[in-house]
Amino acid sequence: MTSIDLFAIAPELVLVLAGSVLVLAGAFLPSLRPRLGWLAGLGTAGALAARWALELPGPVFSSALRVDELARFVDTYILAALLLVLVMAEPYLARTGARPGEFHALLLWAASGAMVMAKADHLLPVFIGLELLSVCLYVLNAYHRDSLVSLESGFKYLVVGAFASGLLLFGIALIYGATGTFSLRAMAAQLVAPPADATLLLAGLALALAGLGFKLALVPFHAWAPDVYQGAPTPVTAFLSVVPKGAALVVLARLGAALAPQALTPRWVLLLAVVAVASQLLGNLVAIAQRDLKRMLAYSGIAHMGYALVGVAAFGAEGLAGVLVYLAAYTFMNVAAFGVVSAFSESEDEPHRLADLAGQGWKRPFLSFALAVSMFSLAGIPPTLGFVAKFLVFKAAVSEHLVWLAVAGVLNSLVSVFFYFRVVFTLYMRPLPAREPAFAEPWPTRLVAGLCTLAMVGLGLVPGWLVATAEQAVRALLE
Amino acid sequence: MTLSGTLLSALVLTPGTVGLLLLLLAPRDAKSLHRWAGMLASLVTLGLALLAWSRFDPADPAFQLVEARPWLPSLGISYRLGVDGVALVLVLLTALLQPVVMLSSWKQIDDKVKGYVASMLILETGMLGAFLATDLFLFYVFWELMLLPMYFIIGVWGGERRVYAAVKFVIFTLAGSLLMLVGILYLGSLHKASAPGTWSFAYEDIARLSIPGGEGFWHNPQLLAFAVFALAFAIKVPVWPLHTWLPDAHVEAPTGGSIILAGVLLKLGTFGFLRYCRPLFPEAWEAATPLFVTLAVIAIVVGALVAYAQKDLKKLVAYSSVSHMGFIMLGLFAGTVTSTQGALLQMVNHGLSTGSLFLLVGVIYDRRHTRLLEDFGGLARVMPLYTGAFLIATLSSIGLPGLNGFVGELLILLGSFRTQPVAVVIAATGIVLGAVYMLTVVQRVFWNPLVHEANRGLADLTWQEVTAFAPLGLAMFWIGVYPMPVLSISEAAIRRLIGG
Repeated sequence: MTSIDLFAIAPELVLVLAGSVLVLAGAFLPSLRPRLGWLAGLGTAGALAARWALELPGPVFSSALRVDELARFVDTYILAALLLVLVMAEPYLARTGARPGEFHALLLWAASGAMVMAKADHLLPVFIGLELLSVCLYVLNAYHRDSLVSLESGFKYLVVGAFASGLLLFGIALIYGATGTFSLRAMAAQLVAPPADATLLLAGLALALAGLGFKLALVPFHAWAPDVYQGAPTPVTAFLSVVPKGAALVVLARLGAALAPQALTPRWVLLLAVVAVASQLLGNLVAIAQRDLKRMLAYSGIAHMGYALVGVAAFGAEGLAGVLVYLAAYTFMNVAAFGVVSAFSESEDEPHRLADLAGQGWKRPFLSFALAVSMFSLAGIPPTLGFVAKFLVFKAAVSEHLVWLAVAGVLNSLVSVFFYFRVVFTLYMRPLPAREPAFAEPWPTRLVAGLCTLAMVGLGLVPGWLVATAEQAVRALLE
Repeated sequence: MTLSGTLLSALVLTPGTVGLLLLLLAPRDAKSLHRWAGMLASLVTLGLALLAWSRFDPADPAFQLVEARPWLPSLGISYRLGVDGVALVLVLLTALLQPVVMLSSWKQIDDKVKGYVASMLILETGMLGAFLATDLFLFYVFWELMLLPMYFIIGVWGGERRVYAAVKFVIFTLAGSLLMLVGILYLGSLHKASAPGTWSFAYEDIARLSIPGGEGFWHNPQLLAFAVFALAFAIKVPVWPLHTWLPDAHVEAPTGGSIILAGVLLKLGTFGFLRYCRPLFPEAWEAATPLFVTLAVIAIVVGALVAYAQKDLKKLVAYSSVSHMGFIMLGLFAGTVTSTQGALLQMVNHGLSTGSLFLLVGVIYDRRHTRLLEDFGGLARVMPLYTGAFLIATLSSIGLPGLNGFVGELLILLGSFRTQPVAVVIAATGIVLGAVYMLTVVQRVFWNPLVHEANRGLADLTWQEVTAFAPLGLAMFWIGVYPMPVLSISEAAIRRLIGG
């Protein structure tokens, strides 16, 4: 291990250290507790600054990790999401009186796990990162420990998460059995000439895909998502809905680039395409029936990972760049939606009912506008970032002669319009109820909503920089 | 940078920018500020449209006042605006109708004025942008940009069943446009597969491609691509039998929304057929002609018959739109220069006459809160000015010589007879039916005995309503007597589009 290696993972180190300081400060310096959020934010900002200030050395730790443009893109994505979630968590912690130190520390550690996954060029760091991420999330989901739904959420995530880890581990073992190495680069070099019998390799890959599919909540591994989303504290739900998914998609992309399964079997693309369309279809159709906003967003998340998977199925530079842009778009849309939804609910225990939004559009114009923009973006209506993201993945599909996949995608988007627009309709076209719910609108919520709205519309109108960065990141992977 | 280098951008972006600023900065209760800002923005836009007209060279068939800036260069997407004769005519119509809309809702919209004015202005940016965009991606963005403001206009300020109408409008429109997006992507990928190897969505690049044909429907890329574009446009027109969203949207929309919907939004469908379907997919167009001519003739006759059966005045005008749009489709698909010119002229005419009919129906609804034919009668004695205005709009709509509708219908029928004689004969009955139902309306509302006491004290048009109607009425006479400006500025562009 050289000092270059340590510099390469400086952002992770900053996060882990900041988390440790937070735990200690929370335990021994009670007077500091209300300000711990600032410390966590400072640590995250420091990690982000470190990632962009330090140069990208490429392979480090004997090629176990690869710190390239792709890693930087995903780190930025994870840290930006983490910052937004930290801001969102402030009013939640103040309202519920939950202890702040551990909460922040667990979020920071979970993010560092996701960041390790995203730069793993070796199957073992993938697993280590995944476990670090998951274990932190088991605790965070059940953080509201007086609440039955929160406990249920934590327990469900634990059981399903452990099962998914098992599948992934088994898949890794089979891939190792087939290739004799854990290193993705070594596999790629070995597979330049495809083996005559790739059964073992494909079985391993399928199991790994299933394990990652659980994290991505793709059909048929999606059933945990609605219950967990509904029960977890809302800031944790926001984190859960974006960060692990980003990391898992990047692992999938790196695996795909190394093993080139589409060269091994023609059915691979079809498999991904079917999973993608099934996720879109189920997510969108079931979301229509939901009356609880967090559950609705859970099903919408299932559908959105289906759209993102279209980019993975199309693969190539265009498809993967589309996936990266999709992740960025999905982060802003989801964090904005969860942030506003948490402001529109009286307490954590009560369901976040759609009907409670009635008439709020004219009463609380700012938050409602943010929620409306995020709904339009989720529905993929221009000029929002959600449209640009969908455009890119569908473009990749058409470009790879998967026109039917693009057609299925747009038809599913049409279905989704129904429930996304219903939120807007409830906000603006329903009368205010007689008994008006007491909603809080603290400044952190407004800040998150404002930033995300700005990003959704601004990057939707001027997506040049984001798309160029994503393309550069993908070139690093595919060269 | 010279003015002409940014003129079209200024034209497209002025209303939307003012709308956004209003939304973000204006205080909620300053209603007259909102109204005057909306009016001023509409008038400035009209001024810019007239300026564009004065800079326009009618002899040049290519896009003029072109602006091109890279937007997403690696994907071949650019911000491109340009105007040809066809687009110019429709831009002028849009810019003329917008102040009328603002006037028509001056006092009528008194709740959430800011949102209404802002929606209308953003809608105008969407419409002008869709006419002027010369990049398919940009066109799609503007096309979808029209959806949201219209959704709010119907859903928030509409009538009793507004939510049903608004959702139906959105689902219908998106069903067409999302598939069109795949079509646009396909055309872009064809460009990539052809010689240069790069993506491009610029209209002129796409128009140079030759899109492969094939056997049957499912194995014929050109026909499939034509079909997804045509579906999006046909829903917008609307072509029978995709018209069912139209009566709902019209009846529930507030007066201003109906005017803009009938006046401009429907024209985007026929504009799309002319600008995109015809030049990009010539063989598919050829193959689809019998189908669309048949549908157009059905729309003409069925629309007129259904209109005759209506009891609600606004619904009647809405169905008459279906019939009139059928004429325009017939003119487009008949394919001669004369018939296409007639179709373009008729787009303007329909915007003027149906726009003013909706305006006038709105006037009477504000006073009586009913639109049922049976609730009226004998209004000629109580409201002489109103009767005069309604009569002018009616006569324009049914094509009386000397007014605009006559010229358009004559050109369509004359131009179409050479290629579609049977269709023209059937369509001509639509003119007779049109006269029947519209004159019946006039008789029942204005001439029959005054039996309802509530009608006795109705006030005549106010200065505000007269000012709103006046530009439309004048334009009807002008085009009726001297249609040359519309015909001459569009002829070169039409010849280019239809390759004649």
